[in-house]
Amino acid sequence: MSTSSYKKQEYAGTGSSNALPDKMAVFQDCIQQFNATPVKTKRCRQLLARLLRLIYTGETFPAQESTTLFFSISKLFQHKDSSLRQLVYLTIKELSSLSDDILMVTSSIMKDIQGGDVIYKPNAIRTLSKVLDPTTVFAAERLFKNAIVDKNPIISSAALISSYNLLPNAKDVVKRFTNETLETIQSYKQFPPTQFQLHEYYGSSTSNLPPTSYMYQYHALGLLYHLRNHDKMALMKLITTLSEGSALKNSLSIIQLIRYINKILNDDESLVVHLYPILAGFLKHRSDMVELEACKTLINLQHLIKDDQFMAIITTLQKLLGVPRTATRFAAIRLINKVSIKHPEKIMVVNIELEGLINDSNRSISTLAITTLLKTMGAGTVDSGAGGENVDRLITRMTSLMDEITEDFKIVIIEAIENLALKFPSKHKKLVAFLTDLLRDDGSLQLKSSIVDALFDLIKFLPDASAKQLILMNLCEFIEDCEFTELSVRILHLLGDEGPNTTNPSYYIRHIYNRLVLENSIVRSSAVISLAKFAAVCGGDVAKNIKILLSRCLNDVDDEVRDRTALSLKFINNNQKKLIVSSSKYDLAALESKLTHYLNDQANFSTKFDINEIPLLSSEELKSLEYNRKINKLDSSTTDVTENAESVAGTPAAEDKSGADDTANELLKQQEYAQELSLIPEFAEYGKLSKSTITPFYLTEKENEFVVTVVKHFFIEAQKLVLQYNITNTLPRSVLQDISVIAQPDNELYEEDFIIPLAELKPDSTGTVYVSFSTPSIEDEELLAAFGNTVAYTNKDIIDDEGNVDERDDGWSDEYQIDDLEVSAGDFINPLYNSNFSAAYDQLPNPETSVVTVGKADSLEVAISKLRASLNLMPLDGSDYVPSDSNSHVLKLFGKDVWGGKVGVLVRLALTGGKIVAKIEARAETEGFSSIVANGAY
Amino acid sequence: MGQAFSFANIFNKLWGVNKEIRILILGLDGAGKTTVLYRLQLGEVVTTKPTIGFNVETLKYKNLTLNIWDLGGQTSIRPYWRCYYSNTAAIIFVVDSTDKDRIDIACKELHTMLKEEELQNSALLVFANKQDQPGAMTAAEVSQALSLTDLKDRSWSIVASSAIKGEGLTEGLDWLMDVIKDEQL
Repeated sequence: MSTSSYKKQEYAGTGSSNALPDKMAVFQDCIQQFNATPVKTKRCRQLLARLLRLIYTGETFPAQESTTLFFSISKLFQHKDSSLRQLVYLTIKELSSLSDDILMVTSSIMKDIQGGDVIYKPNAIRTLSKVLDPTTVFAAERLFKNAIVDKNPIISSAALISSYNLLPNAKDVVKRFTNETLETIQSYKQFPPTQFQLHEYYGSSTSNLPPTSYMYQYHALGLLYHLRNHDKMALMKLITTLSEGSALKNSLSIIQLIRYINKILNDDESLVVHLYPILAGFLKHRSDMVELEACKTLINLQHLIKDDQFMAIITTLQKLLGVPRTATRFAAIRLINKVSIKHPEKIMVVNIELEGLINDSNRSISTLAITTLLKTMGAGTVDSGAGGENVDRLITRMTSLMDEITEDFKIVIIEAIENLALKFPSKHKKLVAFLTDLLRDDGSLQLKSSIVDALFDLIKFLPDASAKQLILMNLCEFIEDCEFTELSVRILHLLGDEGPNTTNPSYYIRHIYNRLVLENSIVRSSAVISLAKFAAVCGGDVAKNIKILLSRCLNDVDDEVRDRTALSLKFINNNQKKLIVSSSKYDLAALESKLTHYLNDQANFSTKFDINEIPLLSSEELKSLEYNRKINKLDSSTTDVTENAESVAGTPAAEDKSGADDTANELLKQQEYAQELSLIPEFAEYGKLSKSTITPFYLTEKENEFVVTVVKHFFIEAQKLVLQYNITNTLPRSVLQDISVIAQPDNELYEEDFIIPLAELKPDSTGTVYVSFSTPSIEDEELLAAFGNTVAYTNKDIIDDEGNVDERDDGWSDEYQIDDLEVSAGDFINPLYNSNFSAAYDQLPNPETSVVTVGKADSLEVAISKLRASLNLMPLDGSDYVPSDSNSHVLKLFGKDVWGGKVGVLVRLALTGGKIVAKIEARAETEGFSSIVANGAY
Repeated sequence: MGQAFSFANIFNKLWGVNKEIRILILGLDGAGKTTVLYRLQLGEVVTTKPTIGFNVETLKYKNLTLNIWDLGGQTSIRPYWRCYYSNTAAIIFVVDSTDKDRIDIACKELHTMLKEEELQNSALLVFANKQDQPGAMTAAEVSQALSLTDLKDRSWSIVASSAIKGEGLTEGLDWLMDVIKDEQL
């Protein structure tokens, strides 16, 4: 009878599908059954399971009911059944956050940990960590210590994890477990042979279980790290001890160790001498997870290691490419792909393996293989004279492959080819030919759009005019037989923008006119606009002919086409060129933010929205933005997954990423600063903000008591410099008052006007101090300066939990010296894109030359990034990529200064005797600025 | 089947088997409740720590199954006593006979507790504990201090005891068993 009734209730309880049991019914059953004597174990277990299911799906009980429930459950402690006890613990753990009375089970749990059954001991330990509060935790200290060193690895692990969970509430107590944890990490703990046999589920299969998993090492390492991560020396000692021999047996714990090493190295790169051998040791390990983690870490640190050391990584990855496990192959090829973005030449040795992987059954792997190959082969073409063969070989291979693969796959390849062409503009011909061939083949809209996208980008960014012409002509051919209206329209628009400036506009006009005759109304109307652009730009005969062509369209059957034609003809006849083609566009991001701001407040509606507040972008500036975005996207798309993982381990990666976002939103950010400053009355008369440094510059260590960052704001017209010091108070028990920053310039031409101090800074809050200076003008000799900075403040201790200070406490005044701040040439420059550097550079006046040694840089790559950062110019022609084996390099930089003049810099870098010498040739339209750039570059 | 069931019931009542008897051990902190519990269960003295919560043990005593709950006596835990009152056959109230300063508090707690509806039918056994220590009050003195004579309609008894030495515990428990058996029949 009993079995059948249970079955029935199960069905009734769970319903036909996945319906949850009724909350109140379960509650009533629980109260009734748990209070009954004697306890019916099986029934209670079922009820607890049902209750847990409710809780896990997010059901909660009102305070009164959860208290009743909790006390009823606590009565189950009278029964010794171990399965029941396990469920009791699970439930109490869940109820611990709901009920305040949870401490009532403390003694019972402690008793179980001391003398209970090994089956539920781990459950008891884990529950105890939820039940303890700061007042009761001391009573459990000894219990935890004993459990950590317990011979049973499961109990030990439970205690370690529970200690970890106790950290936020009782750090001082957990700190005293350090010795026990160290003992555990170095010990050998075996599963008791009887542990699983006790449980019917495991039954006879227990004979196959390994004697230990060493998982407790992983748990112990995690705890130790948290106890020591503020003490670098202790951490180093831990790492050295644990990496010796085979102290760590568990792969996960080794991976964790590698991550900690990575974190330390991110904070202090000088330690690489000690830590590299450890990481290199893990490159050969029986677990491929460990090998991969070591490779990943070393690749992130590649700027710190030598070439032959780097080869060891590649050898390991090469081996991993051949293993049967898909996940491993994927991870390995992803790392190789990451290397290929910056150093394609370093991984050419694995080309054979990569070619093999093109046909891998896993599509992700084969995609990565192809994109990587595209990069390595591209690298070959730049390096060696015989590179042409490589590209030929690649293209042949691609062409044959294109027939076999699916479309979304083709799109990936198209993107890779576009990137290749962008990075190595000299090789564009073959790549463009490949793309246009592909365009002629059959394909879906999606595929064709991606090809057209790629071609559009190439037209924008390729410096070569003949390349542009080649692509345009191919696109013309394409629209002759294009079945997709969307694409025809886009191409017609592009032809209208680019075509008039080419040598043979009439060629395009013919193709466009064909559209007017043959296509549907949507295409026809865009063809009209396109033709109008030719007429406006070219003028003369062309305009006359186009007028004839357009006048025929006035009789078109479609009204849109007729309207556009009439309008265009009117503009052409009245010579209203500006209305047809515009040389500049509004900054859309700024426009959007201004509009939102405007619409948010009804009061704004009394005045008209002023479009002039939106900065106009010339097509050149627009291009630099797009180019930046493009390059950032290209770099991040392949690395963002890894960066996400890293940002958990180390903050620098996360900041890099936000740095990339900043460039995209640079103008927006500038707008925000301008808005903020305009609200401060002292700065009202300074006029227009010329330039602000975008990323805040740290003047202190990031883990300092006060973290200070600075942003420089230049008001060129008013000759003012405003330093914005953002100060964060990280001291938990102190309030800072009357904070000011004393900035001491080493250049007498800078004169301090005033300081806007900060009245009060509470713990964990950030405030701003402004210091305003009058600056010299560009005509003065010394424009650059360095500022020594000191923070002055009054410190008061917090006396209660509300964060109040004693009114009678006068506090004590203190000063705190922080790092110096430099005003460098780059502060006066904005990067600007130009597709033809040489031509633009040659036209610039005022050449100035200087020769400097780039300090603290041991590779060309580091030197280039330093120069880029200090000058804030845009590297052109892909000149920021250095082949790693070369000893000299030419860097081409371009930008626009705050006075509106263009700046071009040609840097010849040479690596001699371990030093990097740079010959800087600067040219600038603004008189006197080129010498500042040349001399202030480093 | 129903008949068999009721028969079993009567049988159990007669012989007192399989029927668990719930007993609470209460008292101020440090009175010796946990020591009493384990002296009864294990027959030996265990080292104890202040009980945060409760201890529960089952023991057989003269054919009866006793389910004994020892609740912590700290001020913070006393409010929770009432959560365990239901179905309680008897209360063992342990008093530290040497603690003259707090005997008033013990008296107050005892009388508040006995007013509870759920405990109206429970028997009361008071242990005047720690008789082994010098200066301990006698059972009579404790009885007077706790105003036990004021109790009406309740079976109660006070026994001088020393949990450390094991004196007085069995006498008290024997009395309790007699009372419970009487009441159940």
